Amino acid sequence: MANPIDKWYPSTKLMIVLTVIIVSMFSTIPLVQYVLFGFAILLSLCSGKIGRFLNTFFKSIFVIVLFIFLVQVFIVKNDDSQPIWWFIGYSQIGLDTSIGLASRIVAISSIIIWFFQVTSVKDIVAALEKARIPKKVTFVISATIQLVPQMTKLSQTITDAQRARGIETEGSVLVRMKAFIPMMGPLVLTSIQQTDERVLTLEARGFSAPIRKTAYYSMKKTALDYMIVIACLLGLIAYFVGGPL
Amino acid sequence: MSIIELKNVTYQYPLDSEAIIKEIDLSIENGKVYGLIGNNQAGKTTLCNIMRGFIPEMFLGELTGTVMYKEKAIQQYNIGALAAEIGYSSQNPFTQISGVKDTVEEEIAYGMENIGISPEIMEQKVQELIELFKLEELKEKNPFELSGGQKQRVALASIVALDPEVVILDEPTSQLDPQSTEEIFEIIAMLKKQGKTIIVVEHKVDLLAEYCDEIVLLEDGRIVKNGSAHQVLSDPDILEHGGALPQVSLFYLKHLKQNTSVPITMAEAIRKLMGGVSQ
Repeated sequence: MANPIDKWYPSTKLMIVLTVIIVSMFSTIPLVQYVLFGFAILLSLCSGKIGRFLNTFFKSIFVIVLFIFLVQVFIVKNDDSQPIWWFIGYSQIGLDTSIGLASRIVAISSIIIWFFQVTSVKDIVAALEKARIPKKVTFVISATIQLVPQMTKLSQTITDAQRARGIETEGSVLVRMKAFIPMMGPLVLTSIQQTDERVLTLEARGFSAPIRKTAYYSMKKTALDYMIVIACLLGLIAYFVGGPL
Repeated sequence: MSIIELKNVTYQYPLDSEAIIKEIDLSIENGKVYGLIGNNQAGKTTLCNIMRGFIPEMFLGELTGTVMYKEKAIQQYNIGALAAEIGYSSQNPFTQISGVKDTVEEEIAYGMENIGISPEIMEQKVQELIELFKLEELKEKNPFELSGGQKQRVALASIVALDPEVVILDEPTSQLDPQSTEEIFEIIAMLKKQGKTIIVVEHKVDLLAEYCDEIVLLEDGRIVKNGSAHQVLSDPDILEHGGALPQVSLFYLKHLKQNTSVPITMAEAIRKLMGGVSQ
């Protein structure tokens, strides 16, 4: 069964994201950033996506944060840098800078990760269509998301066909790179050909009909959506009136 | 009454040195099933694209002659809005999927969304078509995950959903097993009963013999035979023009050496043989 948070309207979830980003941008205290990070973790927990959230976080953002920390603390030269070995030194200023920078990245990126884990592209497109965004725009968004795995599958098919004809496709990085180049030609050409045919398919389904599009799948805002948006706005007003932390 | 009328139509693709369609005159009558046959490169798919209005608008090239749909030049129709009038399914099932929908149900509804059908009617129609095309087990699946044959069935259901007056099917059974092929032709027969006009490009002449009213044989961009299914598919001359005869007709011509009143379907052959026995 879908989690109730999944059913929140995409713009409601986006409002939460924007609130967190605005608070994060105007805050100068790292602790606030870590509170926002905790809030994203709490939301992920309530959404039942904590496992996926942490997995994505550690695979992407944690690596970036670690990199920033190492560069700022041990490599970037500051007034207080103390040499350790060759070009490596230690800087307290660098440590403070890295904490400030990393905490903001952690706060903003974690809420964005949460948003995409609880909001399907289908919901985003449905909300955009409801907001009367031109169907060419929503088509491009949906098609891009759907076609990326198809391109991967096509490249795998081409690689298999080439392997069946004796081309080495596995082994060292050099071998893989060599196999990658001859795959590009058929991949690009097949994709262009398929695009031409898909245009016909779309027109056969009335894509350019000068009629206002209706929706088979649609979403509705509930009272809870409005309450969350109002709460976010009130929170932002209170934050700015009280003076950003 | 003609619903589509081609007069002296010649068409050449932009980069080709010669025309692929040459001086074609063809009248498609309302409510009939037409079978379009011929060798590869005979111009069948191009002719379908012309009748759908995709040529020259989407392929450019040079088109001469006139193509009329309901007595109005086809170029005067909006190419997208024409989807509600002329359904079209091309031969490659892998590009028959819109690429923007997550489930088979949504895929079938996509065309209806584009022509502004209300959600209530869409819902009802999608359920009807899922049942008709036996897609119950696939309705929640991503269309890209389907086999070629399943994609073909979904594509055809998506076209039928638009309730067009004319349905053009370019090799709709190329990826299907014999049973699914029969099912598609049963759907064609059902559409005919509903008064639709159907143009089907197909190499399985035995099925064309059974389900088509008229057969058009193309060779090198020209119509070489055009007439009732019986008239064309019992004529051994078509073998010399890239046509093929139904198995039962071949049997009569080759083994029974009968050149007159050759049957084209098994039912006709049985009737004929039984008549012979009773005599």
